[in-house]
Amino acid sequence: MQIMKLFVSEGNPHCLKVLAVLELTGVKCDVQHVNHEEKVVPFLSRPTLPALHLRGGLYLFSTNAICQYFYEVSGTESNKQSNQWLEWEATELQPALTRALHLAVMQGKTTDPAKALEAPLSFLEQSLTKRTTAFLTAETVGVADIVLWGALYPAFLENGLKMGELQSTKTWFDRVGVLPACEASSRIVFKGKGVEALKGYLQKQPVPHGSQAHRDSHTSSSG
Amino acid sequence: MALRELSSLEKFLGLKKPNKYSTQGDRKVPVLQSNSGPGLVGLVTIATQLTQEAKRPDLLGKSAEERAVVQQWLEYRVARLECCVKEDIKTILKDLNTYLEDKVYLAGNHITIADPLMYYGLHPVIMDLAVMDKEKYLNVTRWFDHMQHYPGVRHHLPPVVVLRNRVYTSGHH
Repeated sequence: MQIMKLFVSEGNPHCLKVLAVLELTGVKCDVQHVNHEEKVVPFLSRPTLPALHLRGGLYLFSTNAICQYFYEVSGTESNKQSNQWLEWEATELQPALTRALHLAVMQGKTTDPAKALEAPLSFLEQSLTKRTTAFLTAETVGVADIVLWGALYPAFLENGLKMGELQSTKTWFDRVGVLPACEASSRIVFKGKGVEALKGYLQKQPVPHGSQAHRDSHTSSSG
Repeated sequence: MALRELSSLEKFLGLKKPNKYSTQGDRKVPVLQSNSGPGLVGLVTIATQLTQEAKRPDLLGKSAEERAVVQQWLEYRVARLECCVKEDIKTILKDLNTYLEDKVYLAGNHITIADPLMYYGLHPVIMDLAVMDKEKYLNVTRWFDHMQHYPGVRHHLPPVVVLRNRVYTSGHH
């Protein structure tokens, strides 16, 4: 039987999650480093990474589906709470993050990125404050923790965003971040270069909708 | 929109007792009301839950690989199709068309909940497609027509006219 292949690229923030989950679950899988332009998934017109080539020949191109799959084959079934977090991450947090990262890294804005993330972060803070377990869905780290931590990692990197007010988020974020699997994956993806490491990746992405929204603030935004 | 879709999905799954729903936020995200504790939020999350309640695990995928593929297309539906602007639609149709070239259903050879949910999401798009485009995205049109004739799927939506002789004659089957 041929072995699964995971395709990742350096400086791609989405690879953080899959590499951390891979390390954490110990699933056997070949990891191939390719460049951002590599068209791995044959039916997608835009290069999409990370991607997982399954043994049966199928491709997974959704970061969260890959993470959930690794968890499942290592013996942890998904549950409705983690499903709900994964859907929230994909539909609410990701669009805001894409805008925020574009504004911060590509346009050098300082206040707009925080504004873009205000709503999802305040929702996360409220949910984390109300929770009764150490992690998002249980006492042990689950797929939702890694997916959200990996998504937020580039935003909280360096002085990008201040977490001062977000006490519960900070406590939870640090708890996930010190796991050896998370430390290792952030070293692989960021190579200690900070948000600058994302530049090459972000340059290849389409300009996110709404990232030119604050034109009236008189900061130079040529798009 | 999402609520009518969920009620159609309940019927498709053969759930006898309809659930109570509400929506939240600007995007009108569906919430499944619960008697005990907070409701369940999100179309994919609720659809997955309903399928489990209906004891139809086959509709979520028969293996870990298939379950991942189903979740992937469900996410694609709410994250890509739902949030997309006009220019993206063409890419989505093109990619789906390539993907469906050698498949009957999104997960391969049998139906899963990814199919009705993608069908509901694509319905307004396919309604607006010119005849020429329907021929251009032949595999999507063939899959779509198959879905709208699949027992129990269409429910709240009007049928879309597909020139079946054009869609079905050329090639694979």
